Parts: sequence; structure tokens; C-alpha cells
Amino acid sequence: MSTERVAKVFFAEAIARALGEAMARDPRVVILGQDVGRFGGPYREFAGLHARFGDERVRDMPVAEASMVGVGVGAAAAGLRPLVSITYMDFVMLGLDPLVNYGAKLRYKTGGQLTAPVVVKCTAGAKGQGVAHSQSLESWLAGVAGLKVVAPSTPADAYGLMVAALADGGPVVYVDHKRLFPTAGELADAPAPVPIGRAIVRRPGRDVTIATHSYMCRVADAAADRLAADGISCEIVDLRTLWPLDVATVAASVARTGALVTLEEGQLACGIGSEVAFRVREEVGRMRVVRLGAARAPVSGNPRLEAATLPRPDDVAAAVRRLLDAKADER
Amino acid sequence: MDRRALLASMLAIRAFEEALARHPDAGFQLFSSGEEAVAVGVCAALGPHDQLLSSGRSIGPALARGLDPGVVMAELLGRATGPCKGKGGRGHLAQPAAGFFGAHAVVGGNLTIAAGVALAMQMQRTGGIVACIFGDGACGSGALHETLNIAALWKLPLLLVCDDNGWSISTPREAALAPRSPADLAAPFGIRAASVDGMDVIAVRDAATALTKHVRGGAGPAFLACDAERFSTHSTATRETRSREAMEAARARCPIRRLAQSMRDEGELREDALATLERDAADAAASALRFAERSPPTDIDEIRRDVD
Repeated sequence: MSTERVAKVFFAEAIARALGEAMARDPRVVILGQDVGRFGGPYREFAGLHARFGDERVRDMPVAEASMVGVGVGAAAAGLRPLVSITYMDFVMLGLDPLVNYGAKLRYKTGGQLTAPVVVKCTAGAKGQGVAHSQSLESWLAGVAGLKVVAPSTPADAYGLMVAALADGGPVVYVDHKRLFPTAGELADAPAPVPIGRAIVRRPGRDVTIATHSYMCRVADAAADRLAADGISCEIVDLRTLWPLDVATVAASVARTGALVTLEEGQLACGIGSEVAFRVREEVGRMRVVRLGAARAPVSGNPRLEAATLPRPDDVAAAVRRLLDAKADER
Repeated sequence: MDRRALLASMLAIRAFEEALARHPDAGFQLFSSGEEAVAVGVCAALGPHDQLLSSGRSIGPALARGLDPGVVMAELLGRATGPCKGKGGRGHLAQPAAGFFGAHAVVGGNLTIAAGVALAMQMQRTGGIVACIFGDGACGSGALHETLNIAALWKLPLLLVCDDNGWSISTPREAALAPRSPADLAAPFGIRAASVDGMDVIAVRDAATALTKHVRGGAGPAFLACDAERFSTHSTATRETRSREAMEAARARCPIRRLAQSMRDEGELREDALATLERDAADAAASALRFAERSPPTDIDEIRRDVD
């Protein structure tokens, strides 16, 4: 029997704790970005770190994401282990050249002489801030050879994946979510890292597998509650890492349920769900499958439009009902 | 570095590129011929604990930094004995253990990276500095302005060297850059800057030495603009747009001939001594080529190695 104590913590506290421990352990870990210093991070996810580790290791940078990422990647290549904080994921676009053209390819192009152990942390998701502050771009980055992409949905995973990302040979893109920062969850006194590349069954069920990640885990859970009232049992698999994908865990679930719903906040077209669905299909053969994601439209800051652009619990529940009514894919 | 060593280093680059250009498998290259004095003069000011980064026009900088010509040739010809196992090529040539942190073939792409390397060296108190050679084509890019800003704010140990050959492929610098001189870009950031004749290796060496002293002392970054000429097309895949007269005028500024002439004038170099140095350079280039040709090609399995 475990005697380990657990505490309720918010998402931001879990991130700050993982970083604080890593920085105390390893002097190479530094934080670079906008509002990371005394301000303590856009979501207070760096609270206390500036006071503890000082200006040199917790550095505010000009609002210039190309140099934030470039300096982080270059410093990583030269021996530091930086975390670069990009306030909104939309702005990682400004840093894609150093991240994709340099960092992701560095180990390969130098034949293993150099690596870029950098974590680029960015906050995805829509929360009323408009078309250029709301995007979830995980699928873009997951498509880049040399990048790893993680996206926690609980404070324990926020902690565990941060520990793993900081220890990785990198580069790792760490995607958190605006709507997860107000959420709390349990974190053990001595929490474990969460290995990169490992999904988890978040809610066991019989009838259908919902493969999702980040904030959409909560949307899936709300949908599963509604469906449970009608006797439909959903198994929710939280992907946690989007590259490398843990296809085996999703496939094992689908082998039991025979039906797969992929659910993401990013765009449906060329999304994470397409990759998951196809690769699971390659593993399990016949299955029923449907993908859910954002409509192919910008995500407006108008709350009515924003909500209608993104999958809601009712959309997920309706898709599950339609899927379970349909015949199995015969191809 | 004395004048004879500077001359030998420039001759080595010229002969290396001539040998490479004649090779049937030379592939896609950007040559440094004409711009040797920039690389050689800057490297004369660097020490063993410093790091050099370059643009994709990397052959001159890599050889001037002292990389073995054989392994450089092997890398350019896609051989397993290259420092990057033949996976980087000219555009991404690197040998950090030898002080060449590497080339990066995105215009302006190595500037923020160089600032990051400089930050790591500053925080690790290695005592080393970083030099980054980039073309005038990068001067309009946001990356340079972001790098100047952060390097000045943080007093990074960074020497930015603009190898100004005057052309972004077909676009003259006057059409691509509002300030009259690349060095003017440093002034708003309070960064010490100098402009030199990039075809005069002594001038480049002396200016680079003065600026590296400033950078090494912890006074922050410096900027060196070198007015240079490229003697061939932008790349082996590009058409030449300059007139014959313009090309002749460019070649008349040859940094090798210029140094040799002044050494002869001052009795430091006999006519036969120059011929000997040229023959030595050609022999070294031929030897580098032989090493590369005898090396195995990069294994196809390398596609899957060092990806993640």
C-alpha cells in the first residue's frame, strides 16, 4: 500500500515545481521568454523562480520570438538546457526558422556532433482572444522530423512531462492550454516523470475509444458523462505525446471497443486525428472511426463563433452515437 | 598570424575551391573565392576557445578556421569521413571541436543561434567569444536586428562580421538595404563597429583583432563590415547578372594578388616563393580531394540516424 501523500495543485504550480526542481538540480537549465521574470509568467507558471534563481537564469526577453527561440536553440547547442516560453502558440510561427530549420535538424545535419536540448513551451487553445491568439498547432509541429511534441491535460502530467522534456535530448515542444491553467489535480509529494511517447487510458470504457489530448480530454470526459447516462461506455485515451505517437495504447483500446473517435482542438484537416486514425487502422484492421476537430475557419474571439468553431461535448456525444449506429468499416 | 601565413591560408582556400569546382561530383556549391580575406582576417583574430559560425558560404570560413581540408572535402562530396558524416554538406558544415560551430544555409539564420552560443559561453564563463560571418543579404532580415538588440542588452561576447559582397544573388545591396553601410546598423544599438576594405586581409585582421579585444574584455558585442567581392556566381546553380566589366573590376581587387604584391614590394616575398606557395596550395587541395575520393560514401542507413 502506498503511503505517498498527494496534494491538490493547479497546472501552473505543477510547471513551476518541475522547473524549480530541475533548476536546483542542474545549473544548465535556464528560462528565456516574455514576462518570465518578476512577473512570474503569463499564467504564473514561473512564479517564484526569478526570486530563487535570479536574472541570469530567468531572463525576460524582448517581444521577438525569432530571437527567443534562436537564442534558446543556440544556447542549447552550446551546452545549456533552456526552456523558451512563447506566450501563445500562435507566436511560435515567428520562431519556426530556428526551431525547424536549425534545432530539429541539428543532430542529423552535424552527424551527432551537436544536439539542441531545448524545451519550447507555448500555450495553445481558444479563450476569447481572437484569430491570432487561439490556435492549436500541434499537428504542424508533430509533422517535423526531429521535433517531439507533448501536451499534458492534468497537473501531474504537466509536472511529469516537463521533467521529461527538460531531461530530453530535444528539441521538445511543450504545449499547455489556456483553459487548463485554472484546473487543479493531484500531485504526489515525490511525483514521477512522465515518459515522452506514452499515452494513458484516462477513463476506461467498453463501447468506443476517444483518442484526444490537452483540454479536449475534459470535453471528452463531459461527453462521456452524458453518454453514460444512456448506457454508452466511452474509453478516453489521453495521447499526452503527439510525436512520437503511442499508437499501441490507442490500438489496444480500439481492439477492445471496435470504434475510434479522434478529438482535437486544432484543425481537422491534416490533423493529429488523421494520423492517429490511420495508424490505428493499420494496427487493428477493421474499425469504425470518426474524426472531430476545429472547423476549417479561423477561431474568432467572438464567444458565440469561437464555441461553434470548436468541438463541444454535445458534438462529441452526437458523433459517438452516430458512429455506434453505423456499420463497421468494411474496407 | 604573419603575412606569409595569411597569404598561405588565402591560397589554400582558392586552390581548394578550384579543385572542387573541377570535380564532376561537386554538386551545389557557394564559393568563397574573392572573399578569402574576410574569413582569413577574422580567423586570425580568433583563439582555440572561440567559436565561428558562418552562412552557407562556408568553405572559406571553415578552412580559415583550420579545419582539415581532407575532411572538409569529404563532407562536401558526401563522404562518411566528413565531420558531419556527409549529412550536412557545405550548407551545414560544422566541426565544433575544432572551433567551427557551423554553417547554416538560411540567410540570417545563424545570427540568433550565434547569440545563443554566445550566451552559453558567457554563462559558462569559458572565456571564449563567438564570431558569426553573414552576408550583406542578411542585413535586411529581422534576425539581425533582433540579434543586435539582445547582444547589446546582454553584452554578449559576439563579433558580428558582415561579409559584404554587395549582392543578394541578383539584387544589389543598394536596392536591399536603406543604410549606406552595414556597419551603420550597429550604431543605434550602441555597438562598436568598424568598416574595412574586405579585400585587404591585413586591414581585416587588424580590425578584427581590435574588436575581438573589446568583445573579450566583456564590453559587449562588436560589428565588423567588410567590403568584399565574390568572383563567381552566387552559387553553382545561379546565373551571373554582372557585366564583364564589373567582373573584371571585382577581380582586379583580388586579396591574394594584393597581399602578394605588397609583400614583394617590401622584399618579403620573392617571385619564385609565391609560385612555391601556390604549388603547395594546389598540392594540398589535390591531397584533400584524394582523401575524399578514397573515403566511403555516406551509408544510406544514416537517413535514420541522429534524427531524434
